Amino acid sequence: MSGPAGPERRVRRWPLVVILVVGLGLAAAPAAFSMFDRAPKGGTMIEEFRPFMNEATIADFRGYLAEIGAARDETADELQPALGTPEEFAAEYPQAATFVDEWGAIDTDMSDMLDTIDANRDEFDGVSSLPPFALFPWFFVIPGLLLAVLAGLSLWRVRRGRRPLTVALVVLGVGLLLAPAVFQMFTRAPGGGRMIDDFESLMTRDRVTQIQGYFITIGSGEGQLRTAVVPAVVEQDGGSAADHPATAQLSDDWPQLLSEMSDMVGAMADNLDNYAAVAALPPFPLFPWFFVLPGLVVVTAALVARPRSEITVPEEEP
Amino acid sequence: MTRTRTHRALLVLLAAIAAVALVAAGCSSDDDGSSSDTSEATSETTAADDATASGELVGTFGIDPGAFEGAEATGSYFRMVQSGGTVADGPFVPNADSTASDQTYTLLEAGTDGGLVAGSFQPGPDPLFDADGNALADAIIAPVTFFGVDFSILTAETDAEGGGSVEAVSITDEDGTLSGQTTAVTAAYGGSEFNQGAPKPDGSTPGETTAVTGTYDPETGAYTLDWASQIVGGSFDGFTGVWHLEGTFTAA
Repeated sequence: MSGPAGPERRVRRWPLVVILVVGLGLAAAPAAFSMFDRAPKGGTMIEEFRPFMNEATIADFRGYLAEIGAARDETADELQPALGTPEEFAAEYPQAATFVDEWGAIDTDMSDMLDTIDANRDEFDGVSSLPPFALFPWFFVIPGLLLAVLAGLSLWRVRRGRRPLTVALVVLGVGLLLAPAVFQMFTRAPGGGRMIDDFESLMTRDRVTQIQGYFITIGSGEGQLRTAVVPAVVEQDGGSAADHPATAQLSDDWPQLLSEMSDMVGAMADNLDNYAAVAALPPFPLFPWFFVLPGLVVVTAALVARPRSEITVPEEEP
Repeated sequence: MTRTRTHRALLVLLAAIAAVALVAAGCSSDDDGSSSDTSEATSETTAADDATASGELVGTFGIDPGAFEGAEATGSYFRMVQSGGTVADGPFVPNADSTASDQTYTLLEAGTDGGLVAGSFQPGPDPLFDADGNALADAIIAPVTFFGVDFSILTAETDAEGGGSVEAVSITDEDGTLSGQTTAVTAAYGGSEFNQGAPKPDGSTPGETTAVTGTYDPETGAYTLDWASQIVGGSFDGFTGVWHLEGTFTAA
């Protein structure tokens, strides 16, 4: 295959030029799409969200919401009536009253957020099972440069009457064709795309600020229940804080609850830019085709560029 | 005659050495003060002793405990502006654990060092938190409860968020007006550390972050220090800590 052409072979050069262009295009794609900057940010986001993208953590968070809701209901049903009318209660204990009033909407919104996260666990697992994001650009650059070099070398050889490097080109093309299947990109990449779409409503500055505000409402409400409302009821009616178990439970668990849930809010806040970078990449479902289509082109062009037939030009006798 | 001259020369030389030694001792006293750990400080001078001129104040800014009487806070306190708010108009986070009648003020008390030391660091203990995320650093201020969890502040050579090195707090007096930087001030809360200095370790003043300002009376040592520092990143991203310290400065 790589020896000097004996009889003259008809070799089409344009397919090799096509391969050269495809190779250079692949090599340049990461720079064109800012992948060297964006892809590592995607990797960072994956790692920082990993602690929250599992069933146990989401179940814990749902449990915390239920615990907060129970304290809210206990306040609305028992503590507030014991201390006066709703208006009197709101005037004396504004943070607790705000917590009671706003909890329903907060619970709905936070539950929706957890539902969104929960619904994307499989997608997250799929994306996080892909090769490291930081390597993504090199999956384009390395095969692209190899293709360009092999195509250029083949053109050079053909000009000198030698055969193109067909086998090497076909192997590279088949490698490109198979890569998406090997890495299960056809299932994982669209899943990643759905996750990116679903998280769009969560990963904004306004949304993070809104959720931070929820914690102000809950935290200041819990604090006022613990430091003022429950002591007032105990002073008035006797008993102890333990007689109000839902509120007592919330106060006991509050430091841990605050720490764990605020970690998630922190991860959201810290990854707004990373999310924006990932969202600015080409659509995830297209990624497999960024390999398949060039692979098909390369294989086809390499085969077309094969010496098609020998021409009956007798070799000169020495 | 020659011996007499020699004796005179020796006396002059000894006197010169003694003078140089005295001056050097005076200088080295200042140097020691600026670099020593607060726990090793042994010979403190009062502010009044050091009241002769403007310049950098190296020593401890003692923290008078915060109080809230009438509608006014006195002493040292902390407030937190909610994300999207302003230092001037809030809204401020209400802290139900505050003993102030206006619970947007969290009142501070001095820690074991008596206050904030300029010129050296006051790092936190190891571990920095207990199992519930309560801060254990107690050198600058006594840990104070905020939202059910104790927070505190410390100053460390390494920025807890960015990892870079930072300079020790430095405050300068110019005719009774204080300025400087509190970049190393870090709040410990809920298992996390948040830079609360001004400017930030990278020199920026993001969002509502304000420069350090204050007043100083060299006669009495009475001072005030104010700054605001917006949190960048983490669960309190966008919130701004507003710090007001007042008390008496004691030179190291």
